[in-house]
Amino acid sequence: MRREDLAALTAACAKCGTCRTVCTLYPERKAEIAVARGKVVLVEAAASGLDGDAEALQEALSDCLLCGRCERACPNQVAVEEIVMKGRGDLAEELGIPAWKQVVFGKVMPSAGGKEAARAAAAASQKLFLRKVPTESGLHYRFPSAFGQSGRTVPALSGESFLGSLPRGEAVRGEVLLFVGCVFDHVFPQVGRAAYETLRLSGKGIAVLRDAPCCGLPALVSGDRPSALRCVEENVRRLSEASPERIVFPCGSCLVMFRRNMLSLLPKEHPLYGDAVRVADRCEDYASFLLETGVLSRLPAPREGERPGRIGYHDPCHLSGTLGRGGEGREVLRRAVGDSFGEMKGADLCCGYGGTFNIRDYPTSAKIGQNKVSVAAEGGTAVIATACSGCILQMRDMAARTDPSLRVVHIAELVFQAFSSR
Amino acid sequence: MDNQALSALREVFGERLDTSREQCICYSYDATGKMFLPDAVAFPTSADEVRRTILLANERLFPVIPRGAGSGFSGGSVPVQGGLVLSMERMDRILSIDEENLVAVVEPGVVTETLKEEARKRGLFYPPDPASLKFCTIGGNIAECSGGMCAVKYGVTRDYVLGLEAVLGTGELVRTGVVTVKGVVGYDLTRMLVGSEGTLGIVTKAVLKLIPYPETIATILAFFRSNHDGSKAVVGIIGERITPCALELMDRTAIDCVRENAGLPVPAEAGCALLIEVDGPKESVSAEAERVEQACRRYGAIEVGRAADAEGRERLWTLRRSISPALRQVNPVKINEDIVVPRSRLPEMLAFLADLASRQNLRIVNFGHAGDGNVHVNVMISGTDEDERRRADEAVAEVFRKTVALGGTISGEHGIGISKAPFLEMEVGPLGVSVMKRLKTCFDPNGILNPGKIFVEEGMARR
Repeated sequence: MRREDLAALTAACAKCGTCRTVCTLYPERKAEIAVARGKVVLVEAAASGLDGDAEALQEALSDCLLCGRCERACPNQVAVEEIVMKGRGDLAEELGIPAWKQVVFGKVMPSAGGKEAARAAAAASQKLFLRKVPTESGLHYRFPSAFGQSGRTVPALSGESFLGSLPRGEAVRGEVLLFVGCVFDHVFPQVGRAAYETLRLSGKGIAVLRDAPCCGLPALVSGDRPSALRCVEENVRRLSEASPERIVFPCGSCLVMFRRNMLSLLPKEHPLYGDAVRVADRCEDYASFLLETGVLSRLPAPREGERPGRIGYHDPCHLSGTLGRGGEGREVLRRAVGDSFGEMKGADLCCGYGGTFNIRDYPTSAKIGQNKVSVAAEGGTAVIATACSGCILQMRDMAARTDPSLRVVHIAELVFQAFSSR
Repeated sequence: MDNQALSALREVFGERLDTSREQCICYSYDATGKMFLPDAVAFPTSADEVRRTILLANERLFPVIPRGAGSGFSGGSVPVQGGLVLSMERMDRILSIDEENLVAVVEPGVVTETLKEEARKRGLFYPPDPASLKFCTIGGNIAECSGGMCAVKYGVTRDYVLGLEAVLGTGELVRTGVVTVKGVVGYDLTRMLVGSEGTLGIVTKAVLKLIPYPETIATILAFFRSNHDGSKAVVGIIGERITPCALELMDRTAIDCVRENAGLPVPAEAGCALLIEVDGPKESVSAEAERVEQACRRYGAIEVGRAADAEGRERLWTLRRSISPALRQVNPVKINEDIVVPRSRLPEMLAFLADLASRQNLRIVNFGHAGDGNVHVNVMISGTDEDERRRADEAVAEVFRKTVALGGTISGEHGIGISKAPFLEMEVGPLGVSVMKRLKTCFDPNGILNPGKIFVEEGMARR
């Protein structure tokens, strides 16, 4: 492990234990190794040569959702997410990255063609291997139990990605750039479409990058710094070239990568660092952009008739927590659906997705996620709206498993619907 | 620990015994930041597992260190001699809350706030409120006899423990005390175990007293020019025959830490602040709050404010709550002591602390539960300067000597652990230490339980 970087970050921990109160994982593990204080001390110990087995340490650091709740509760503002991500990165350099991750992050994600091919292959294999489950949020497939992912469902991949469906020559230039993100392009193209159509209502020119690489967050949180760096470099280059006034993100996780993680990943002396800072400054979330440009003021008053409070807002950890953008999504909903919006029970509970955590330990991820959606449903929420691709993937799976009548949507879908129906 | 001991423990705990370096590191420290590696960690889920563990420990002679949340400030749960850490965090059930008899029965791993909330839902109150209440456990609170803000009116953990189930150092499972309000049958073994820092027995179940939740509460914040005025006001308020449920003092050094981000305007000339709460029936609370305000003004308060609602209350508390986190700005390493003096001696103690800081050229920040004479003396040091460290150690010893001379006690709520072991005799005398050691032998003849705590051991580091 790289001592100097990490020692400065871990020294701030006073070992008080406050992180135990908010950790999403602690109630499942009931062991100090799950919480931030344990992980910080492990990293500190490793940096001073006290650690045992590097693989066991890698295992301990992987067992974290990176929800950041500890960091926000910490009286000393210890940078837990950065410590865990740096630790994972250092260990990956020492031990290597698991083979499946290498293929996905190293080959598929940095290139658009790779993603397109992977999606086509995945869509085809779904039809062959998986069982169909109808849900309110659309068709899902259920994994057979032989896959070791007991009960997991995945959304049915449509034939065409959102960007693939855009006519050639459309959305090439514009002062505003929509960064769709992999999931909203390929898995839920209807979200990409809804975001695009509603951004256009601002009257500004909306452009997209047709072959943008992944934001790099999945690679970064897995400790695969080289792949993450390749994604970032390519994105910064492309976005600097396009030079939009604003870059709008429907996905909170892509946004946190651009606004925060990208800058701690790129060394200050990197030739693209200055460009990256300029790009980061122009990035913002979908809801903030809508509010800022006044798009919603053109929306007629919402119709009465639906049960008040049936639509709730889920706080994505990265967007509401790390970036402090929790109010904007709610305000957009209030304007789009009126009284149908109501504060959801357990709105700020993490969905349990945690990026690759969901793949690493699906049973625990699912337990946290099922609790999340059950608490919401018990509180009377019938539709969970949010603004992060990971949360939507996870909560749709959880709804399919526990309560298929529960809908999980992106706020853009409800805004689009409001404009289309009135 | 030898392999035979470990394989026998494996039979008791199965997967819930862990000897990996990573798990051991995670159970090597507490909030003092001191670190000693155990040989293994086990997570019991029943009293019987605890009992079998202690029997084994007596057979194979290895130390057993009970641990709650590791939030202690005296090193009580740190395995200074290695051995097995028994992490009680998985025995975390509230077994019953009896609303007719106002009694709760809980396992030791229950988080203090969880119990407080469950009681509150039923209109009941479990008063002890250590600053770490959101994460510390009832078992840890009992082991250290934790206090908190409301001790001035409601007392400390010991005042709410009616009875216990515990495994003694011999491996015997004993039930002490009562489930009733009264009980004087034989020696008070319950009180013997409360505050024994895991050196006599390991609590596996606790019977706790609850009281009705107070109807209403009023919060007052008063600023004074000096510690002298502020501490006189503390004495004055108590002299008024009012018992506040919180009476917190922040001295100039503490106020200075948060002046900028206190969330409310702090008068420029403020050199001391008191945060006072009174609770009870509506009529008496507003009359008492009035009298508290008058008392503050009489002792020279330059500004007095009262919160009428929960939001205002929260705002006034922000000042007090912002202090601990802000201490790091003064210096990174905190030596945190929790002395108590008779309330009437507070003005003298605070004057002594100010003089000590300037004499030893140290940053000392003082705040705490002044209503019960408890002052958190925080010596803030860089941690890298050897001479500063030496001066800080000297200063702490001086603080303890002065405390004892004023008729006070060197630990109000943190316990002795390893941090204060060298000073035990200063307060209780050689006979006191000797009686304690004899008692220890009765409960734990082989010295299995939490060795190296409370009493100074040969060759142990002083701090």
